[in-house]
Amino acid sequence: MRSLSIAATGMLAQQLNVEVISNNIANMNTTGFKRQRAEFQDLLYQTVERVGSTSSDSGTVVPAGVQIGLGVKAAAVYNIAEQGNLQSTSNPLDMAISGAGYFQVTLPTGDTAYTRAGSFQLSPTGEIVTVDGYTVDPAITVPADALQVTINASGQVSVQLPNTVAESIVGQLTLANFPNPAGLDPQGDNLFLETTASGAATTGTPGATGLGVIEQGFVETSNVNTVTEITNLITAQRAYEMNSKVIQTSDEMLSTINRLR
Amino acid sequence: MTTTGEVALSYQLALSNQLDITANNIANVTTPGFQSSHPIFAEFLVSVDETGEQIAYVVDKGTVRNLNPGPVNFTGNPLDISIEGRGYFVVENEEGIAYTRNGAFRLDSSGQLITSAGAVVLNDSNDPIVIAPGESQIDVTQDGTISTENGVIGRFRLVEFADEQELLNLGNSLMSSEQEPLEAADSAVVQGMLEGSNVISVTEISRMIQLLRSYQAAQQLITTEEEREQQAIETLTQIV
Repeated sequence: MRSLSIAATGMLAQQLNVEVISNNIANMNTTGFKRQRAEFQDLLYQTVERVGSTSSDSGTVVPAGVQIGLGVKAAAVYNIAEQGNLQSTSNPLDMAISGAGYFQVTLPTGDTAYTRAGSFQLSPTGEIVTVDGYTVDPAITVPADALQVTINASGQVSVQLPNTVAESIVGQLTLANFPNPAGLDPQGDNLFLETTASGAATTGTPGATGLGVIEQGFVETSNVNTVTEITNLITAQRAYEMNSKVIQTSDEMLSTINRLR
Repeated sequence: MTTTGEVALSYQLALSNQLDITANNIANVTTPGFQSSHPIFAEFLVSVDETGEQIAYVVDKGTVRNLNPGPVNFTGNPLDISIEGRGYFVVENEEGIAYTRNGAFRLDSSGQLITSAGAVVLNDSNDPIVIAPGESQIDVTQDGTISTENGVIGRFRLVEFADEQELLNLGNSLMSSEQEPLEAADSAVVQGMLEGSNVISVTEISRMIQLLRSYQAAQQLITTEEEREQQAIETLTQIV
């Protein structure tokens, strides 16, 4: 009875599907969150009778062979890098990327992580840091006596100091981009790490070819679309139920055999 | 066992294969571009004696794929491509050229367009499609032409087949064929959409109920036949 294990692969796949959907729904209000999607593929096929095999001595051939598929598997769970909505916060250190690209963050280990969640703050020493206190790379220090911080679309950070008219530039933000952003490895805390699947990071100033621009005073909301997620959840649940029906049917067929004297 | 039992048994074996195929259809109800399969049953005639009397066993002669297009769902992902018409994408993996209708593509680390299992998608000159680093605006027109902010970078190779039933499933949403593929004449692609599985759940579930009942009916036949034989033995021994 292959059908028992085939239905089991179906149930496992739908369970993974529900897990991915529930993580998306749980993060519908997470800044800079990119929704994920589980991608499925059919498993191997067993060829019982090949197409075109001879079915008689006079040379007639089988027009269609017998192929029995062995179920389904999860091929990939990947991030969909679609732009989220920009939400105004009026906080001068909130930055949203409109377009492609990631902020670079230096982890306590010294490694570089990447994020789209631009809700930044200042550390006690005046450095621009993430909500977890990790330094944004390149490090930019805002003087303690600055009256106002301005970040323009191309990532230049300037401050207004007391008793001066002109703004003084304190740093330049850069963005990183990847050949395959969907291949980034999510680390939690809105952070991603570079992998071989994502390709090497290329950095540039915001607004350069292929990179988005920075919007000060905005955050990028999660790109989860609740209606889509709920409909996907319904589909996944029903598909799970259908697979359990196959197991029931296989079970009844087996019990029929067991009733043989 | 007499032939009655064996005929019923051949039916049960065929039904058990049918359940495997139905289970695979149901397991792939959310696999993009999946085409459901159905078995074809045939009779297999055997002569029992010189009078020419024949017994018909059941054999499952083949599986046919349902070639109807699946529902096309909006995903918004620029690398999700669905095909309208009877075309297939041409991809290449370690085992050679294969064909697929599952257009859930992504990029690998070198920017090549690949399927979710890693087979390289080919363009109309049979080369990989490469999206250069920094190119983020990917547009695909109806005829399969791919362009980015740096202009046109290639065109999907779409092929059609004279006999689609000949295609063999390889798993991973791929198919192989021994036919020479024809360049697609009336197929178009749509970006941001994904063709779902063409499995119709109602049909599969009702088919499953039907095959379970047929299985039980065949079982009943075997049981009744056994009882009849037993009675015959008892009756005949009483005569003696």
